Amino acid sequence: MTLLPLFLVRLPSHCLAPLRWLVRHGWLRAADVDWWLQRLHPLLSLQRVYARVLSRRWVADDMLAMTLRCNGNAMDWRPGQHVQLYWLHQGARLSRSYSLTAVQGNGTVELAIKRQPGGKLSEALLDELAVGGCVELAQASGELVWPQQTDAVLLLAAGSGITALLGLLRAALVSGYQAPVTLLHYVRQHGQQAFQNELQQLMQRYPNLQVRWLLTGEANATGETAGRFTPSQVDGVACDSLLACGPNGFVERVGQWWQSGERSGSMQFEAFTAAPAIDNGEVSSVTLSFNRSQQQVVGNNQLNLLEQAEARGLRPAHGCRQGICASCSCQLLSGSVRDLRSGAITSEPGQSIRLCVSVPLSAVALDL
Amino acid sequence: MRNDRELSPEQLQAFAAELDALRQQTLSKVGASDARYIRRVRTAVRVCCWSGRGLLFFGWFPPTWLLGTLLLGLGKIIENMEMGHNVLHGQYDWMNDPEFSSRDYEWDIAGPSAFWRHTHNHVHHTYTNILGMDDDVGYGLVRLFPEQRWKPFYRWQPLWVTLQALLFQYSVAIQHLQLDQYFKGRMSRDELRPRLRTFNSKLLRQWGKDYLFFPLLALLVGGQALAVLAGNVLANLLRNLWTFSVIFCGHFTADAQVFLPAVLDSETRGHWYLRQLRGSSNLQGGRLFHFMTGNLSHQIEHHLFPDLPAHRYAEMAVTVREIARRYGQTYNSGRLSSQFATVLQRIWRYRLPVAVQGS
Repeated sequence: MTLLPLFLVRLPSHCLAPLRWLVRHGWLRAADVDWWLQRLHPLLSLQRVYARVLSRRWVADDMLAMTLRCNGNAMDWRPGQHVQLYWLHQGARLSRSYSLTAVQGNGTVELAIKRQPGGKLSEALLDELAVGGCVELAQASGELVWPQQTDAVLLLAAGSGITALLGLLRAALVSGYQAPVTLLHYVRQHGQQAFQNELQQLMQRYPNLQVRWLLTGEANATGETAGRFTPSQVDGVACDSLLACGPNGFVERVGQWWQSGERSGSMQFEAFTAAPAIDNGEVSSVTLSFNRSQQQVVGNNQLNLLEQAEARGLRPAHGCRQGICASCSCQLLSGSVRDLRSGAITSEPGQSIRLCVSVPLSAVALDL
Repeated sequence: MRNDRELSPEQLQAFAAELDALRQQTLSKVGASDARYIRRVRTAVRVCCWSGRGLLFFGWFPPTWLLGTLLLGLGKIIENMEMGHNVLHGQYDWMNDPEFSSRDYEWDIAGPSAFWRHTHNHVHHTYTNILGMDDDVGYGLVRLFPEQRWKPFYRWQPLWVTLQALLFQYSVAIQHLQLDQYFKGRMSRDELRPRLRTFNSKLLRQWGKDYLFFPLLALLVGGQALAVLAGNVLANLLRNLWTFSVIFCGHFTADAQVFLPAVLDSETRGHWYLRQLRGSSNLQGGRLFHFMTGNLSHQIEHHLFPDLPAHRYAEMAVTVREIARRYGQTYNSGRLSSQFATVLQRIWRYRLPVAVQGS
């Protein structure tokens, strides 16, 4: 049911501030208020960000760009940041992180979603989320910014890493960035060069932009370069500042190359796959990030997370220490853990886990 | 009388393995239907509470006042038992929905959720029925087992229990303040102060909402504030009496067993399961009855599997009962009336230092 048009829904975000105050202080329940607000418009909510799908278009064989119009709770989003997109799957609210490839003033954003073979969330989104459908997003996060004060910018993207850089690139070109920009996009095979048409048009319109595509998985046709990242590929490319985005291994290789030389500008990077889970029974060390307390420590894959956090001086809420009472429930932000009781492995970002019966299998970030 | 077979360590291990298997089997079924269920429960709570409050605005007119009060009481009971209690146990944490998250949920009752997560989820569920460790055994007000040391104060316990039943939500709320420890000098004022602050602000919100805001709102729209106030008082009272009856039947029936702290020494998973089974008692009834008790009528299953969605206890109970039979353990179950009668009997009998034979 829609009693209000969408542009009106975006307005009252500030008018709802008193209600938010009441919710924050426990006088009202956010879900109850949202129920009434949603009688007015399905996207209206006190705190949560809901968005409607305006359009879908395929930008590569396996990547779909989706334009979404958010309600008024999307605060100060920038291109190059990423948002969690929530999707109900068998009763559980799963989420994945997607980069904002474009952000417009009226709350319209563009996300690009790559099909992960076997990934239940990306497949559901691509197959089931139609134009007009509603989804929930989290507030955007991410620190990538366009380096304004440099002579030349090099962008290195691997796979869907292009989505974060494209957002920044589009915004910079539109705002009149003049210095040379070189973009190298590494993809596994033909058909995965996301946004290729658009990038070619941009190259024609902005002579300071150079884009090259590199295939890592199959033989190259004429005029194309092959292979994973090697320093020779960027020989002679002017670069004061570097932005790199892709899987961990890629970003690490780029980082090593960058640090090996004398640089005047800055390097920014974003890596998006967690290191593979170690699950062979051997003792090994893993990185534990406690995001709320802003600590990053080296732990192991033997002790439960509660003990490991306590050993580092943290004082998480806890109770029975045997998985009964749920006092130590905590959000898993990334990485994978094993439940000591059932052996079940959780690697769902945003899932609630019990610290006292969870051991980390890979580098783990916790909302602690 | 209980007539439990003693289990050898191997038998205990097998017993635990069977219950663990049942847990896994149920856990693998948990999914979309459970999410739909708890959302429906939430809708039921809203319909009851909001329509109840709406009807109370019509003043003292008996049909609307009575119906409004009953609906509000019903909504509060469901919110408290099938919704709040189960959500706070983390039964729906897997949904990853902030609305049903055990960390964030705050229920419509005097006791703050944070207190409950400690006194109930942790203390009561870990140390179930261990004397001196599980404060839920008599709540410090009542002597229910001959193993509890008698104090002159217990002579009047039928009176204390009546008061507790009428004010049950407050009795639960102040448990975590541990005022007895404070007055005995075992807890400092600095320790008490933050708890007291949490307690006061929750109480202020509850009273402000039920006894001030809605009566005043009625006044504003031309209704009768006193009728709304009385309706709220009665609804809360109904909930107190109902939750008290159900909860006292959970662990204090004739066949429920208590334990000494020594059982905790080298307690295995099997021992723990066995203690939960022996210390808890079930209530028999129809589906509506189980729903109204928040499935605490399946107290045994709840204590064996506190973090599985409670509406699945009924199907699990069939297997649990069968496992208990095979291992020669009494499966304590009866109708509410008969179980409650044995609780009253305990309250009456153990008010005296030496139990009167045959009474």
